[in-house]
Amino acid sequence: MNLQPLFDVKTRLEQAAIAGTGLLAEDFRLQRAAEALKPLAAASPVFAKIDSGLQNLLAAPPEDRSGQLLDLLSLVDAVSYTQGACGMDGELTPLPAGFGTCAPLSYGQLQPLLEALTGTGGGRMNLIRDMWENHPEYFGDFRVLPALIPGLGDGYAELAELISDILKAQRPEIAALLKKDFDPAGKKEMVRRVEVISALEGSAATPWLKEVLSEAKKDVRTAIITALGTDSDNTDFLLQLSKGERGSNRDAALQGLALQEGEAVLEFWKKELQKNGNSVRFLELASSDWASDLTAAGLQEQLRRALANPKPMSPEFQEELLLWLHASYHKSSPAMLDFWRWADKHLEEIGRLQTHKSMPLTVDQRLTDMLFFSLRDTKQLCDLCFELWEKDTENPRWLPHAFLAALLTLPAEEVYDRFSPYVLTAKPLTENKRKRELSDAVLKGLSRVYWDKEQNRYATAPSTFSFLAGAAEGPAPAQPLDPRWIRRLIDAVWKPSLDRQPTPFQTGELVDGFDTFLARLVNRSDEAMCRIIIPWLRRRALETGFWNSFSRWLLYFGSSPLGILADSMKKSKRAPYLYSVWSLLDEASKTLPAQEMILLLEEIQAGEFFTQKKEVKETVFTKTIVDLQAGRPFPEWHTWNI
Amino acid sequence: MELTEQMILLQAPNPAAAENGRKLSKKGSFSALHKTQDNTLYWGECAGSGKNPYSVSIDWLNPDAPVCRCSCPSRQFPCKHALGLMFEQLAGRNFETAEIPQDIAEKRNRQAARAAKKESDEPPKAKKANPAAQKKKMARQLEGLDMAEKMVNDLLTAGVGTLSGSSAQAYDKLAKDLGSSYLTGLQAAFTRMALAVRTIQQNSGSSDTSYAEALRILIYLRSVIKKSRTFLQTKLDNDNFSSEDTVLFEALGGVWKLEDLHAIGAFREKARLIQLSFDVSYDDAKKEYIERGWWLDTDSGRIDQTLNYRPLKALKYVKGEDSRFDLLEIPTLYTYPGEGNCRIRWDAASSRPLTEDERAALPALARPDLATALKETKNQIKNTLLPKFLAVLLPIGQLGKVGDTFVLEDPKGQRIVLRDRPEDGTSHASTDRLALLPEELPSGSALFGLMFYNEEDRSICLHPYSILTPERLIRLQF
Repeated sequence: MNLQPLFDVKTRLEQAAIAGTGLLAEDFRLQRAAEALKPLAAASPVFAKIDSGLQNLLAAPPEDRSGQLLDLLSLVDAVSYTQGACGMDGELTPLPAGFGTCAPLSYGQLQPLLEALTGTGGGRMNLIRDMWENHPEYFGDFRVLPALIPGLGDGYAELAELISDILKAQRPEIAALLKKDFDPAGKKEMVRRVEVISALEGSAATPWLKEVLSEAKKDVRTAIITALGTDSDNTDFLLQLSKGERGSNRDAALQGLALQEGEAVLEFWKKELQKNGNSVRFLELASSDWASDLTAAGLQEQLRRALANPKPMSPEFQEELLLWLHASYHKSSPAMLDFWRWADKHLEEIGRLQTHKSMPLTVDQRLTDMLFFSLRDTKQLCDLCFELWEKDTENPRWLPHAFLAALLTLPAEEVYDRFSPYVLTAKPLTENKRKRELSDAVLKGLSRVYWDKEQNRYATAPSTFSFLAGAAEGPAPAQPLDPRWIRRLIDAVWKPSLDRQPTPFQTGELVDGFDTFLARLVNRSDEAMCRIIIPWLRRRALETGFWNSFSRWLLYFGSSPLGILADSMKKSKRAPYLYSVWSLLDEASKTLPAQEMILLLEEIQAGEFFTQKKEVKETVFTKTIVDLQAGRPFPEWHTWNI
Repeated sequence: MELTEQMILLQAPNPAAAENGRKLSKKGSFSALHKTQDNTLYWGECAGSGKNPYSVSIDWLNPDAPVCRCSCPSRQFPCKHALGLMFEQLAGRNFETAEIPQDIAEKRNRQAARAAKKESDEPPKAKKANPAAQKKKMARQLEGLDMAEKMVNDLLTAGVGTLSGSSAQAYDKLAKDLGSSYLTGLQAAFTRMALAVRTIQQNSGSSDTSYAEALRILIYLRSVIKKSRTFLQTKLDNDNFSSEDTVLFEALGGVWKLEDLHAIGAFREKARLIQLSFDVSYDDAKKEYIERGWWLDTDSGRIDQTLNYRPLKALKYVKGEDSRFDLLEIPTLYTYPGEGNCRIRWDAASSRPLTEDERAALPALARPDLATALKETKNQIKNTLLPKFLAVLLPIGQLGKVGDTFVLEDPKGQRIVLRDRPEDGTSHASTDRLALLPEELPSGSALFGLMFYNEEDRSICLHPYSILTPERLIRLQF
């Protein structure tokens, strides 16, 4: 049955209601629709009833029209509902199994998270981070996953990055969700989608990336090309892109090509570097031998040309030379090792190179620093450093390198026996300057090593020399450190002159750089080391008045500031803030027994730092002591904040 | 009784309170933790903002309705300290066994005495109406109906299109007057009209939708006014002032009490319910949140709903509901008058996990086929006083897609399109979630959702809410 006349009547009645019943008599469209309904009215009683209602409505006096119109609309609606179609023809494709999890999570558990993900305003970052830390399983739920994706485009970039990290930690199958509704001409959200897809799928993302590349624009295109560069099978495609793309897109292709292997890649780079030496910056991250060989040859050639021309170099040449130098980072092919041997021979001449403003360019210093920061766990580079140093063990030039190489590769005792004599504990009678240079060189080597509490081992700090490479690498493992170094450093005649630095405890105090350097070296589970450093820290607390930082270090190394805390506070130039005291004691309460906490409180109370606030003196400290004596926990800040 | 995180969340007045309780527990704010020998009472002290710690206790004598006590001044109940103590219990902290404190023992005794008295007393009877007052009230209601009818007629004579030039305040005022005439149901309808006016005035782009909404309200008002007038007049003529089993009572703004429902026989005993879905929506006209639970009677297969209204102004003080996963055993279940999915309430219930057999039997409670459910839905939605949807449980023959459209096919081969009900808004969007279902559905599964008429293509569709398999309930909402 063709129900169009019924729907037309419904539409006309609705229009009549909007226009007003005062105009009903002139509504020829409604009359026409009523005419068209006649055949249906003849066929079925229910349509006849509508038809009759229509006639009554059109003939009704003005005061009755409103009611009749609504009654008729109600009837037409009811008939429309009963005539409502149901179903859909066509082939029914069963739903494949999805990839979310489905736990019995309640509204109360999920809704705050969904609201934070889909809403706007402050407080969302904290909530999502808290949830991610405490309930990571919520994020895999099939109701939460789709809500995560729009978050990649959140205006609050830090939140968008957090969501990106959360998505990267999910199962690779969720990439399908990110591909759905992907807009290749989109903005930052789409860039992050590409990054997440690439991280989730790795090389399996290549077909999709190639597919969307044709439509991609601006930053999304760059992100796609960057992602394609991570797949070693994309060499030919990247070579092709390097010909057709421009600007940041071509840069992304070159970045990818720097990580590829093969004859064609080598040929490409030879030509590219010949044509544009600045492209060598893309080889910074490349660790393959061909990249190392090309860099070594190019850097040597640049230096030869500079040495051959005694005039100050042009700014362009200078810039390119430094790019070549940076590209040598962490490279270790035989050709690169030969380059370093050649550089060692010519270092004096190289040191005389000048900038275009006739200022020293200090390329010699930059070269030695580069080798120093390139040192990680690469055996060839470590051996090279030993080789260079052993030519003249009394020369401080390669001593930091050899010492660091030893810290990375040799047993602790051997390293100590071999290198500790350079760090003097008594002032020498002669050759003060040279001996201090040697001592400083050893301390420089040691400054790259620290105790990595996460990994529970010694490690070398990632280099900040090269931004790109520094971002890509993590800490490299080092050999254990002989505990005797701590005593040796404390007793050293010449301490390294380091800038004042903040401590890891965010106390706002800037302490002597040597103290942070020393504390970084101590493995807190090594009792021998702790026994040596604790008295030093207590002494420094009293000397400097930095009670907060040194007390926290003492707690960190399993000790207590009891006995020095009040005196250190007195030494400080500023009166202690009550919050800082509470915060320190709150930290202390996690490790110290109640009795020692009470003694600390009494020590501070006796110091009379808060005499102006009578209630603090009398209430806060006394009450906290009573609480602790009663076995109650150390109180929250709001109970002190009176 | 085994304490679970869900149980704690159910006690919480809102998710934030539960989270704050969890933080207190995590921070180690509790001390002096004790419990009784029989593990029915747990108590301790919690460091708070005051000088002295708060004394907190939880009495698990009735595990389904624990009694939380705390000396803190919070008006939330239970407070975060009591919830924190539950988290302490959940975390397996060491509670020393001790004698029950004197004050709690006394409170327990008083509570037991009250319960015994309640048990021995006859169930509360519905209050007898004062005929004179009722007569006066009905007369006032009839006056209010006249007033509302006049407004409806005036609006239609001038045309709904004039709403853009009308003052929303006029509708607000009328709504207020209707409230004074004991017609709070109609009051809400006029407040919605005022809302539609404001929407049209603020956003002319959405005027079509708002005109349609206004028209729906007018049709509803016409029907309520007409039927209510007859209903009230008959009662007035017959001097009949008792409660009656009719939806008009609520449509006019009446509020049912359990004893009134009992009096009209709207209850059943020993009901067993399982929640199929839970959702929350916001009613802008009434400025309140509506927490709705959909419940399946495991004996009859009937689907009803619980509605918890939380006015914005009193949000802090009205306990929020949450999803329930266990089977509820309810001694007396009260049912509001109506057709289709009625509102239900109870004043006491106990819960337990479903057994495997019970769970496996649930999908069989679905309607026999799509055709039956379709007929029931059409019958409901054509009634202007009833909701324009029906909650149904349908057997799944096959669940899949035709092109980009989700479609359910019942075991007899009849199909229905699955799509979100536009009136529910994006917060209730769940159809797309079907594509992410973590597993293939085993045979014998059923789909629960709201069947509705879709104006756009004039078809009957289903908004999926959850899926019942013989092993589990997969909630597309909550």
